[in-house]
Amino acid sequence: MSKEQNQRHWLAVHRPVLNYIERLNETQFAYLLLIPSALVLGLIAIWPLIRTFEMSLHADALLSPDIIGEFVGLQNYIEVITGQRDSQMGSAFFDPSNPFQSALLVTFIFTIVSVFFETIIGFGQALVLDKEFKGRRWARVAIIMPLAIPIVIQGMIFFLMFQPNIGFLAAPLQELGLFSAAPLSQSLDATVIIIVADIWKTSAFMALLILAGLQSIDRNLYNVAKVAGATPWQRFKRITLPLVLPMVLIAMLFRTIQALRVYGLIETVASCNTIPSLSCMVVSTFSNGLYGTSATVAFIIAAIIAIAVSGYIWRLGEEAVV
Amino acid sequence: MEENTTNSRVNVYVQKAIRRPGSVYKTAFYIATFGFLVSTLFPFYWLTALAVTPQDQIYGLGLLPNGFNPGVFIEIFQQAPLHRFIFNSIVLSLATTIFVILLASITGYVFGRLDFPGKVPIMLFVLAISYFPPASFLIPLFELFTGNVSILGLSSPDLFNTPGSLILPFSALFMPLSIFILTTFYSQIPDGLEDAARVEGSTRLGALFRVIIPLSAPGVVTAGVLTFIYTYNEFFFSYLMNNGQPENWAPIVHGILNYQTQYEQLYNYMAAASLVAVIPVAILVVLAQEQIISGLTSGALKE
Repeated sequence: MSKEQNQRHWLAVHRPVLNYIERLNETQFAYLLLIPSALVLGLIAIWPLIRTFEMSLHADALLSPDIIGEFVGLQNYIEVITGQRDSQMGSAFFDPSNPFQSALLVTFIFTIVSVFFETIIGFGQALVLDKEFKGRRWARVAIIMPLAIPIVIQGMIFFLMFQPNIGFLAAPLQELGLFSAAPLSQSLDATVIIIVADIWKTSAFMALLILAGLQSIDRNLYNVAKVAGATPWQRFKRITLPLVLPMVLIAMLFRTIQALRVYGLIETVASCNTIPSLSCMVVSTFSNGLYGTSATVAFIIAAIIAIAVSGYIWRLGEEAVV
Repeated sequence: MEENTTNSRVNVYVQKAIRRPGSVYKTAFYIATFGFLVSTLFPFYWLTALAVTPQDQIYGLGLLPNGFNPGVFIEIFQQAPLHRFIFNSIVLSLATTIFVILLASITGYVFGRLDFPGKVPIMLFVLAISYFPPASFLIPLFELFTGNVSILGLSSPDLFNTPGSLILPFSALFMPLSIFILTTFYSQIPDGLEDAARVEGSTRLGALFRVIIPLSAPGVVTAGVLTFIYTYNEFFFSYLMNNGQPENWAPIVHGILNYQTQYEQLYNYMAAASLVAVIPVAILVVLAQEQIISGLTSGALKE
């Protein structure tokens, strides 16, 4: 068969299908094309979310063959938040008698401190990358390299750097009285270490978004300000900062969502016993078969993320109005 | 004549004074650049120093390598099948990338080029999915992949310890980002091109395959590179959705943690293995930095 015959044959076979698609209006065509993604996301994302939520409304079923026990409504949420489930949650951080609140506190400290420093350092990196200079391409590669490092290797780097026997940081910091002799197994020290690790890896993410914001600023504004005699600092404060602020907020929003989920870094650098974050609690209750409690904590994280997202969106909305 | 020289002297002085704050800023700029480069690259240098330091010299290692033992990069492979873990990770990431890109380009096309009722709510819904923490997918997916979910009397296939139990959760995590990157891309293709193809008699699907898809290649590359890097870097499901055996498709997370748990004191192996496992993504960053940057920015902006 020649190529043309081949094509004709193909068309003859598929003509009804093609005609059918051709006759659909745009809405029908759109929904037809959405079917494959909807099926996949439905199975691997939407169904698990609904099922997790459903589980969070059921009791744990440790002694029965079923996965979860009877329907208990919001009782799991109430008991987790008020600390009645603490005995099942393993380790604590500041206050040993109160693991859930410790996990909440650890997660918040980690998120707020690391996002704060990432914003500042990322801003600095963005200002550097915004300039034209020799070797800028390679400077950019170097600055974004940590972003591409797998979490497990990021964790390994800081695990090694703070190893008392070999890491060059453990001994001096201990002599200064800042760290204990075994910083990786001491909760507060280990939290500082994972914050530093997080800043090292993800400041570049902030930098890239802020850089995009910087490059969208109209350069004429700077020329006008220069003619009017504004110093570089005044130009930065009056032009750069307000115009780039929405972008900074978007970058902070993304980093906040990521930071609230922290798990892998903790597991690699220290352990969930040393730094019990909220995600750690989900995994530890899950491994103990406490599916109801585990699902509840997972949805508490989701709720916290939702609150954070709405906060940022509200702030961005204000920014847009002004 | 005399007046002229005075004028020019004043000019030179004024210019210098004006230039001086500039030079102050320039110095600050170079110091900052240098500082950022050192702080981002230093860990890699130190890992190398640690890796090449012989095992018995490691104790009290400072900033410089204590001896030179390049053989460590061979020893790590004899100690554990690191190559198999890296291979697993690359295969899993490639498979996830292909799967995600196939679905996300269709969806991105629909969101970016078609107008239909319900579009905004559906897009917000996809966005909302991407905000959920991986932990909130964990239990049902675990049940599903261990064959404990039954639909109409048929139990789900036992995918635990197969590539499927990792590729599917990875896709759930990273598909929304690719959808939004590609939506931006498709929406930037001028309408005229597609209309022209349609007027010329091309079918709807013909226009899609002959005009739109070729033009969207840069967007597909961007979304693909990011999905690959994210999947290679993922921890949560990589760690929990298999038993860590290389023959069961355990990814690099387990390969690296192996050195931490089994070979307690072999710090130089941990460093060497980390350096080797970074190579695939490091190459990708050097080759595709433009795509990574544009993908991260456009993805975030759209969302």
